[in-house]
Amino acid sequence: MNEFPVSGEADAVERATSTTDDPARTDGPSYEQATARIEEIIRRLDSGEAGLRETLELCREGQGLIERCAAELDAVGQGLEELRLDELVARLEAGTRRDPDE
Amino acid sequence: MSDPGPPVTGIPGSGLAGPFPVGEYAVALRERLRGFTRVQLVGELVNLRPPTRTRVYFELRDAGGSVPCAMWRNDFERLDLAPGTLTDGIAVVVAGGCDYYPGSATSSPSFHFSVSDLRIAGEGDLLARIERLRRRLDAEGLFTTQKRLARPSLPRTIGVITGEGGKARDDVLAGLRRRHWRGRLVWAFAPVQDRHAAPAITRALTDLAAARVDVIVVARGGGSLADLLAFCDETLCRTVAMLSVPVIASVGHHTDRTLLDDVAAVSCSTPTHACESAVPLDCAEERDRLLASAGRLSVHARRSVLERARSLARQARAPSEHLDRERRRLHQGLRELRASARRRVQTSRTLSARHLLVLERRRSATSAAQARLRGTLAERARRLATAHEADRARRHQALEHLGVALAAHDPERTLRRGYALVSDQDGTLVTSAATAGSSPRLRLRFADGQLEATPAPDTMPR
Repeated sequence: MNEFPVSGEADAVERATSTTDDPARTDGPSYEQATARIEEIIRRLDSGEAGLRETLELCREGQGLIERCAAELDAVGQGLEELRLDELVARLEAGTRRDPDE
Repeated sequence: MSDPGPPVTGIPGSGLAGPFPVGEYAVALRERLRGFTRVQLVGELVNLRPPTRTRVYFELRDAGGSVPCAMWRNDFERLDLAPGTLTDGIAVVVAGGCDYYPGSATSSPSFHFSVSDLRIAGEGDLLARIERLRRRLDAEGLFTTQKRLARPSLPRTIGVITGEGGKARDDVLAGLRRRHWRGRLVWAFAPVQDRHAAPAITRALTDLAAARVDVIVVARGGGSLADLLAFCDETLCRTVAMLSVPVIASVGHHTDRTLLDDVAAVSCSTPTHACESAVPLDCAEERDRLLASAGRLSVHARRSVLERARSLARQARAPSEHLDRERRRLHQGLRELRASARRRVQTSRTLSARHLLVLERRRSATSAAQARLRGTLAERARRLATAHEADRARRHQALEHLGVALAAHDPERTLRRGYALVSDQDGTLVTSAATAGSSPRLRLRFADGQLEATPAPDTMPR
């Protein structure tokens, strides 16, 4: 059926699809959603239509989002860390082995 | 039916047979050409013209010559070639045989090699096979799965699959520097152009996905079509399609698009662009933007605090202002009430005065009437008294007359004149001698007194 050369990795698809996203990255809004919300909040505040209570709530929400976004930027701004895949795998495996003892 | 006319004689002195009617010759020529052995020809396809209703025309050439070709449209469409596959210069093998259209009195004749089958030769054949696989994968929907994945705007960990020591590595770093991205970069070095390439790349993809990188870049700096074959591997492409991590491909040519380019979430022309796509935001710009947003938010927050303070002050003043307002309102009400009362009293007073006046008038009228009545009564009383007096005098006079008359008839007066009243013992007047005679005792009354008497028996009448 395959008229084209295939790699022969029979289990490749299965292994590949068994991976999942980092759960830590999936909770809460994404960076773009957060920045979009910040823009929306500022537009609302700039419009002058928000009441006092709403303004305070929006400021509080915006502050939280900014802190979250700043944390995201910090995570990719501290310094480039280059790893080889085998190093990363070894590190992850070492972490997995260490976990039960902790 | 045209008139054949007189017989035509040949060219004097010529040793050749004929002359023959050209139509017959053309038909004979066609039959002769069709009798040629059917063969396969190889050459470059050029001058492919848009298909007519029934035929497709092109030419087959090489350095030594060319042959005009025609193919029935049904046969051509049965080849199932992707649009754009047959381009000028592509090497093809055609199968068929010679044919000749003899023309007519109104149409020109033409010669062509009648093609019944065609296949793309060499590299072109490879492309055709890739195209078939491309259509199959597309039909299975594998070109859309990666594109539906959400790509993080700021990936923390980026996996890069590329050849070790290649120029692509520098391009990747340059792309990330442009984005001011300084996160974790995981290199997965793999051969990218030999027969081991596809399995190694597939394994690297699954390992990076398992290591929970946020996005994977597969980078390679171009190459010949044969070199790019690894990136058209079916298993590799199916693996990428099923990955839950977005894959950004930068392996293709400008002209030859690999299947990985199609199946990946994004396809870029250079590794630098691939990295810019992996990190769609410029981290430095984002930081500036975030700072600006924080500043504006802070301004709004301060303004809102001030506004809140002002609002509280307003609210603090509000009760006394309310009291003042209420007081003023009450005073106003009181003034209005008083004015209203005054108006009402004034109205009542006016009304009362008017009533008083009316009553006074009525009283005066009544007094006058009373005076008049009293005068009338006095007059009447006077008249009555006068009349009464006259009547009384008249009556008195009449009484006097009656007294006189009565006195004339008074027995006492008669007695004084010497007469005596005789009565029996019971007091009953005795007016006859007979009666007196029959009474045992008589009472005689005189003017100066009375006495008892007994009638003498012999004096009694008989």
